[in-house]
Amino acid sequence: MHEARRIRPVLIALLVVAIALITLDFRDSGASPVHTLGADVFGPIERVAGDAASPFIGFFHAANGNDSAEITALQKQNDQLRAQLAQEQVSKADQAQLAQLLGRSASGYRLVAASVIAAGGEYSDTVTIGVGSRNGIAPDETVLNGDGLVGVVTSVTSGTATVQLATDVSSTVGVRMADTGQIGAVSGTGQTMAGTDDLRLTLFSATATLHAGEAIVTFGSVGGRPYVPGVPVGQVISVTSEPGALTQSALVQPYADFTGLGVVGVVVPRPPAKAKAKART
Amino acid sequence: MTVRRAVLSPLILFAAVIGQLVVVNRLPLPGVGLPDVVLLVVAALGVTAGPATGLLAGFAGGLAIDVAPPGGHLAGEYALVYCLIGYACGRIRDLLQGSNAERPATTSLLVMMVGVAAGEAGKAALGLMLSDPDMTGPAIRHVLPAAVLYDLLLCPFVLWLVPVVVGARTAERAPQPQFPQSLRLAPAFRLASAGAAPKLRLAGSTLPPVPPPVRAEPKLRLAGGRSSLSSRTNGAFSSAPGSALSGRPTPRLNLASAGRGNQLGGASALRAPQGAGFQGKSPGKGWLRPPKQAGTTARPGRSPRKGWIVAGRPAPANWQAKAPGKGWVRSPRPPSPGTWRRRSPGKGWIVAGGPVSPANWQPRSPGKGWARSPKPPAAPRRKSPGRGWLRPAAPGALAAPTFRPGSPGKGWLRPVGSGALAAPTWRPSSPGRGWLRPVKPVPPPRRKTPGRGWLRPARPPRQNWYTKGPSTRWLRRGRRRRLLLGGRR
Repeated sequence: MHEARRIRPVLIALLVVAIALITLDFRDSGASPVHTLGADVFGPIERVAGDAASPFIGFFHAANGNDSAEITALQKQNDQLRAQLAQEQVSKADQAQLAQLLGRSASGYRLVAASVIAAGGEYSDTVTIGVGSRNGIAPDETVLNGDGLVGVVTSVTSGTATVQLATDVSSTVGVRMADTGQIGAVSGTGQTMAGTDDLRLTLFSATATLHAGEAIVTFGSVGGRPYVPGVPVGQVISVTSEPGALTQSALVQPYADFTGLGVVGVVVPRPPAKAKAKART
Repeated sequence: MTVRRAVLSPLILFAAVIGQLVVVNRLPLPGVGLPDVVLLVVAALGVTAGPATGLLAGFAGGLAIDVAPPGGHLAGEYALVYCLIGYACGRIRDLLQGSNAERPATTSLLVMMVGVAAGEAGKAALGLMLSDPDMTGPAIRHVLPAAVLYDLLLCPFVLWLVPVVVGARTAERAPQPQFPQSLRLAPAFRLASAGAAPKLRLAGSTLPPVPPPVRAEPKLRLAGGRSSLSSRTNGAFSSAPGSALSGRPTPRLNLASAGRGNQLGGASALRAPQGAGFQGKSPGKGWLRPPKQAGTTARPGRSPRKGWIVAGRPAPANWQAKAPGKGWVRSPRPPSPGTWRRRSPGKGWIVAGGPVSPANWQPRSPGKGWARSPKPPAAPRRKSPGRGWLRPAAPGALAAPTFRPGSPGKGWLRPVGSGALAAPTWRPSSPGRGWLRPVKPVPPPRRKTPGRGWLRPARPPRQNWYTKGPSTRWLRRGRRRRLLLGGRR
C-alpha cells in the first residue's frame, strides 16, 4: 500500500503532463513540435524496422519480397500507371487545355518510389512511407500506386513522410467524371479500418447525372499540389439520391487497396532541367 | 531481477511500439479492428510488475505511439489512457491479492483483460471528447468490438510472454503448503524427541568423513534418504503435487524455506549464541535453544541432544513444518550413505523454520517444546530411541501423500514456503550459520559423533531453488570469519 502511496504523485504528474500535451497539440491542431520530435526519433527506426518487416508484410499481401523485386514491380506499376493515366484522360483536347491551364504537362512529374513502413492505428487513415525530404519529397504532394490515387503527403522528415489516405475523413479530393467531365469532390468516410474503403462523391453540378460504374479521376490542383490531374481514383458503385439534396452524391469504390498498401509512388515535380528524361524510380 | 526488469521492460515496450506501427497496423487482418499490442504489453507489465512499472510503461508507450510518425491523433491521448490502464492493472492486481502472495495466472489474466478492454474504450472515449475527426460514432461502433476482441484473444499470449522476457514471473512458485492437522502431532513429536538424543542424527546432508561408525547404525534419521525422502515429503507436503515443486530436486533438509532473514527472527538474534558461549557447547544446544539461553546456560560438555531438547516451546501454528522429528526420527533403517550425504541436517534444521513466517519462528523454538514435554519420553534414550517411537506405524504411511499430519519431519526437511525460500534476502539472516558454524566446537565424537555428519557436508547440496539459500559451503571450510560476517552465498 505504501508503494501505491509513493507512486500516486507520479501518476498525477504524468496525467497532468499528458493533459498538457493534449492541450498544446489541440491548440496547434495536431502539429505541435512534439510530433516533429517524435518523427525525428522514430522515423529512422521505423524505416529500418519497416524494411525488415516488409517481407513479412509482403507475405501477407502476396507482395514482393526484396528490394530488386520491389523496384522492378514499381517500374512495372509505373508504366502501367502511365498507360492508365493516358487512358483515363478525357480527351487530348482536355489534356492540352489542362496542361495549358496548369502550366505544366503531365510529363512534368516524376515518381519517387517508396514503401510503406508503418501505419496508424485502427482509427486513423495515415501511413508512413520510407522517403523524405532527402529524396525530394515535400508536403502536399500526390501519392499513388499502380491502382490509383492513395493520398497526399502531409508532413515530411528527412527520411520519412506521412501520407494522409484518401479515405481519411478529413481528406477531400477534387475529381471529375472521366466520361462526362463533371466535377465534384470525393471525401473519405473515415471507415477504412472499419472495413469499408468507400469514398463519398458529391458532384457540384445540380444537373449532372451519375451512373454506377463511371470512372473518376482527379481533377488536379494548381501547381499539382496537392493533387496532380488525371490520377484514377475509383468508380461509382451506387448513386445515392437524397430527397431535397441539390446535387447528386454517390459511393465510390477506390481502385487502390488501402488496407494492403505496399509500394507507392510520390509525384514530385520534375526538376526544371529536363522534362524529357526518363523518370527515375 | 530488478535490474533485468529495468532494462527489459523498456525494451519490450519499445519493441511493442515499433511492432505495432510497422507490422500490426499493416496486417490485413480479417475484420475491422486491430489488436493494440502496446496496450497489451502495458497491461501485462502492470499486472506482473506492479502499478509503478505499469504507470511508467503506459505513459512512455502511449507517448511513443502518439508522436511516432504515422500519428493520427493528438500527442498525449494514448499516453493518458495507457498510463491510467497500466497503473490500474497493477493496483487492482495488488488489491485482489497482496503483492507478496502467490499470483495465480487466472487472476492476472482477468485483470489484464478488463484493463485492456477498458483501455480500448478509453481511447475511443477520449477521441470522441477531443472531437478527433477519425473517431466518429460509426467508426467506433465498427472498430471497438473487433479491437477489443483481438486484444482479448492476445491477452494470454502477452501475459505469458512479458514475464518470460522481463523476468517478473511470479506465478510459478509453488503454493505454500498448509498443514492444518499437523498441529495435532506436535505433542507426540515432542515426546519422541525428548528421548531421541543419542542416535539422533541431524540430517545426512553430508557423508561423514569418518563414515563407519556413524553410518553403520544411525538410529534416527533426521532426514529421509535423498530419493526416498523426497518422494515422501513431496507427497505429504506439497499440497499441489503437480506444482512446480515436483520438477525440481527436493532438498531434504532444507526445511526451512524460511523467507527472509528478518522473518526468521532476525539474523542477529539467531547468531547471538555464537558470540557468547556457543563455541564450547555441543551444537545441538545452540540450535534448539533460544539464542539468549544458549549463551548463558549451555554446557559445552553435554551431549548434543540435550541442547535440542532444551529448546523453547513449540510454535503452535507452524511448528510441524519445522519439526524434524518424524521424518528423521522414525526412519527405521539406517540412512544409506548416498542419501546421507546430501542433506545437511544442520541447515535443514535451522533453516527449517524457514517456511514459517519469521515472526512466529523464534517464539516457538521447537527445542523447548521438546524439552518441556509434559510426560517423560516413553522411549529409552540410549537404545536407538528413534525406532520404537519414532517409527511410523506403517512404513507405507510415510510415503503416502496423506501422511502429512503425522510427519513433522517432512515439514522440516522440505521447504515449506517455496516462495519464501526464493526470496533473495533470505540467506544472510539464515540462522543456521551462526548456529551450525563451529566445526570444532562439536564435541569429539563421543556418542555417535552426530556433529560431524551434519556439519561437514561431503558436498554442498545441489544449488536449486531451495538449497540455494543456505549454502553449505561454509560448513566445509569452517571458517569463522565467514560465519561472523554472515557471508553471502
